[in-house]
Amino acid sequence: MDKYIPVIGLEIHVELKTKSKMFCQCTADYFGKEPNTNTCPVCLGMPGALPVPNKKAIEWTALIGRALACKINRVSKFDRKHYFYPDLPKGYQISQYDQPIAIRGSLKITKSVPVHPAGGIKTFRITRVHLEEDTGKLLHVGSDTLVDFNRSGVPLVEIVTEPDFDNTEDVKVFLEELHTIIRYLGVSDADMEKGSMRMEPNISVKKITSTKKQDTNISQNSNDQQRFRTQLRQGYDGRASQYDKLPNYKVEVKNINSFNYVKKAIDYEIERQVDLLENGETPMQETRGYDEKKGITYSQRSKEEAHDYRYFPEPDIPPMTFSKEYIEAINIPELPQEKVNKYVRLGLKINDAFIITRDKVLNDRFEKIILKIKQQDNVKVTDVSNFIINKKETASLTEEELYRKIKEFRKPKEIDEKEFDTSIKRLIEVNKKAVEDYKKGKVNALMFLVGQVMREMKGKADPKLVKDKLIQILNSKS
Amino acid sequence: MKKKVLTKEDILHLAKLSNLKLSDEEIEKYLKQLEETVEYVKNLDELKTDKVSPTSQTTNLTDVYFADGETNERGLKLKEKYFIVKRIM
Amino acid sequence: MNLHGKSLLELKQLVIEKKISEKELNQYFLKRIRKFNPKLNAFITVLENNQLGIPYGAKDMFCTKGIRTTAASKVLDNFVPPYESTVTKKLQEAGMSVLGKTNMDAWAHGASTETSDYGVSKNPWDNKRYPGGSSGGSAAAISAYLVPAAIGTDTGGSIRHPSAWCGVIGLKPTYGRVSRYGVIAMGSSWDCPGPMTLNVEDNAYLLKQIAGKDKYDATSSSIAVQDYTNEIKKNKKFKIGIAESYFAGIDDQIKKHVYKSIDVLKKLGHAVKPIKLLPPKYSISVYTILQRAEVSSNLGRYDGIRYGNDRNFFGQEAKRRIMLGTYTLSYGYYDAFYKNAQKVRSIIIENFKSVFKDVDLIVGPNTPVTALNIGEFEKYPFYGELMDQLNEPASTAGIPDLSIPVGLDSNNLPIGFQIMGNYFEEANILNLAYQFEKETDFFGVIKKGINNYKD
Repeated sequence: MDKYIPVIGLEIHVELKTKSKMFCQCTADYFGKEPNTNTCPVCLGMPGALPVPNKKAIEWTALIGRALACKINRVSKFDRKHYFYPDLPKGYQISQYDQPIAIRGSLKITKSVPVHPAGGIKTFRITRVHLEEDTGKLLHVGSDTLVDFNRSGVPLVEIVTEPDFDNTEDVKVFLEELHTIIRYLGVSDADMEKGSMRMEPNISVKKITSTKKQDTNISQNSNDQQRFRTQLRQGYDGRASQYDKLPNYKVEVKNINSFNYVKKAIDYEIERQVDLLENGETPMQETRGYDEKKGITYSQRSKEEAHDYRYFPEPDIPPMTFSKEYIEAINIPELPQEKVNKYVRLGLKINDAFIITRDKVLNDRFEKIILKIKQQDNVKVTDVSNFIINKKETASLTEEELYRKIKEFRKPKEIDEKEFDTSIKRLIEVNKKAVEDYKKGKVNALMFLVGQVMREMKGKADPKLVKDKLIQILNSKS
Repeated sequence: MKKKVLTKEDILHLAKLSNLKLSDEEIEKYLKQLEETVEYVKNLDELKTDKVSPTSQTTNLTDVYFADGETNERGLKLKEKYFIVKRIM
Repeated sequence: MNLHGKSLLELKQLVIEKKISEKELNQYFLKRIRKFNPKLNAFITVLENNQLGIPYGAKDMFCTKGIRTTAASKVLDNFVPPYESTVTKKLQEAGMSVLGKTNMDAWAHGASTETSDYGVSKNPWDNKRYPGGSSGGSAAAISAYLVPAAIGTDTGGSIRHPSAWCGVIGLKPTYGRVSRYGVIAMGSSWDCPGPMTLNVEDNAYLLKQIAGKDKYDATSSSIAVQDYTNEIKKNKKFKIGIAESYFAGIDDQIKKHVYKSIDVLKKLGHAVKPIKLLPPKYSISVYTILQRAEVSSNLGRYDGIRYGNDRNFFGQEAKRRIMLGTYTLSYGYYDAFYKNAQKVRSIIIENFKSVFKDVDLIVGPNTPVTALNIGEFEKYPFYGELMDQLNEPASTAGIPDLSIPVGLDSNNLPIGFQIMGNYFEEANILNLAYQFEKETDFFGVIKKGINNYKD
């Protein structure tokens, strides 16, 4: 059997949690509302209605772009993307085509446990980050399809990666990292159950021709820039011709809403495609769905069928511009990876630092508590992290209460005087040589004895107290 | 501009993209009229455009936005609970 | 009181002075509509019970809350908008009310009203002829004094062309001067709502009411709106350009009247000089490509799911335009057609900009021929486009352009004359037209038109 490498790229959609929709003042918080009660002439695509963009949504898209190390285009614009579907009220979606808000970025991932062999860090390239509007929702009942436009026009950010992934473990870690970043930026709930983060992997497999396994994490590829430009110019949709090194087809799996399902869907696809190739067939370029119950992907419609989106610049919306000053002033909050590095410097183990940065709520708590540490409290940053990581039942406590608990835990225990005396005396008996040395004036010998006592007391004693006591006993014995 | 003679299949493809159902008579008619129009607009080839940048809108406006959270004065109360189409999946 | 032929502002004054009630005013025009509309078919919908406000006609392209709005297409036969267009809302706030929704070419596709699903409108000057289009119903309605004023929309001549053929005054403002919000979209980067009136002052007044920045139209301009009724009365002398390329293939009688009118302008003390403008044929091509593309996109929303009827209700012209627009935007053709046309649009804009460094205004004929007989359009290969050829350059550039009547031909049909100005210089255009009106009273054309339809 031949060897194959998967070639995987990702498209991720994230709904922004702005107050208003993308092009009208209807609320963007549509969840749980009665059908079609959150609509206006604009998001219903009424005759004569016009879109005016929401400033915050644009700023947040630029923020996401910057957080993913993208270049922000100085001039960006909206385009119309045309297709017919009942959930798309205008017959086109206002999206972005050849001048997205952000392009050419990257995201590094660190694999947690065990730490990734290649230094723990891998870089994946971000092709683009653009802004568009969400569609309505469909509900299939009996012989009818019901359409609800409450979600129509909610700002939706699309993040597209290069096909840089060759295994599903990296995909999963990447998506988790991206999810964490989005949450840290505070621009989306990225709640997968509510559908505010949706993922679409595109998958193909290629046969390995040389004996050497190729590295598909190809950020060193010198042709990248050129390829990127070509790709953008030609469009990354049906208009694009595939670049030469990649397989001449790709299968897109639509709208998956869990990291595990993404992984399973890709694994299934890889297997399916390899089987086809082994039988001498080429997998068809198409869009597939994922059946989470059966754990399989299924064909939806052929991509060539009617996918000519006929993009053209949206005439209803003047272009967007981003000044150099604006771009430089975009304030990116401290992201999880920086935090991991910071915590490692503060003494945390990398795995703990990783865990403590995964959840923004938990991390906020951690940050607040470590600010409370006072020198005399004898509390270390690691105490806080250990406590938070290992004792999850403390979630109900306020930060104040939790810190008090940690402090309590760290306080030196009251020492049993009797036990203390007994052990000092016993050690003096055992370490006669050191006692002799001390009496000869060797200060080191005293420190050695202090160490022995501390060990015996399992660190619970105050070293200064031990030292004083030792001096007292040794001097009286002479 | 490329010289291209349109075929009936092209017309059908365009009709599909446009979500229009055409009669045979219409297909023939549009085929002819489309070609006539395409022929006419070839006069643009008389002008040199390679160094010209395209105009998408004539206003010269940029960055026209609304502020998130502005009061919604346009919300609609609809008669319909759902809009209904023939089942599509 | 004899109201016949009174201007919009005169009627408004009579109401203010309580010499006539709004109810009487509305009943007066309703009576005239009942009498003459069956013959002219200028209206699709008439508000029979309208009793308040100074009445006017709104092209059936403007969404009017609670009033059926069809764009003259059966697709929207039963469509009652739940919201009001900015233009009609502003006029409402100025004390005016829609007395009827005027007929037009379906979706404003055409220069005849022939493509209307509600029947062709008739030219009041000769009922066997077209009123022009697409705002033909509006032009016919005011020419026969069924309403004292009307609002139209102009994408590539749709206000100016019927104004010329019906002998009234029609202004296409600068693109972005008047909000498009609530105006059924035809060519989004071209559409301009504008006033159609019986004198220049009414036109200036209406423009002032409807112009200005609209928060619901991102392409509307925040440049300050001038007090046009005041501006027109200032004593101004202009440098006026004449482009030879706009006289090629124009009917001789039209040419004669246009030259006569230019002599009037000279006599009034304006400097007239020749200028070089690109031949209109390039604008026709640019317009045809870009507008059809936008049409194919703008008509995508009519799927019958949320309102109106489904796509089988589109007429021939709409389908033809959708097909062409889809073609020029489709894979492999975008650069050759759409993008190239966008580039030529830049060339045309530059051409106007450089000319306006030299002159304040440009004048010339408005249409190549006077009103055609109903049925004659069939003879022309692509319908309205050649009829609109003198209007399309201004549309391509987005500059303002006014049509005024300057005489009658041997068939007693009105002849139009256009005045183009630089961006947002509507005041200059209207000022020159006002001077011309004071001097010539448009050679009696407008009054004669109204008098053809006595009470």
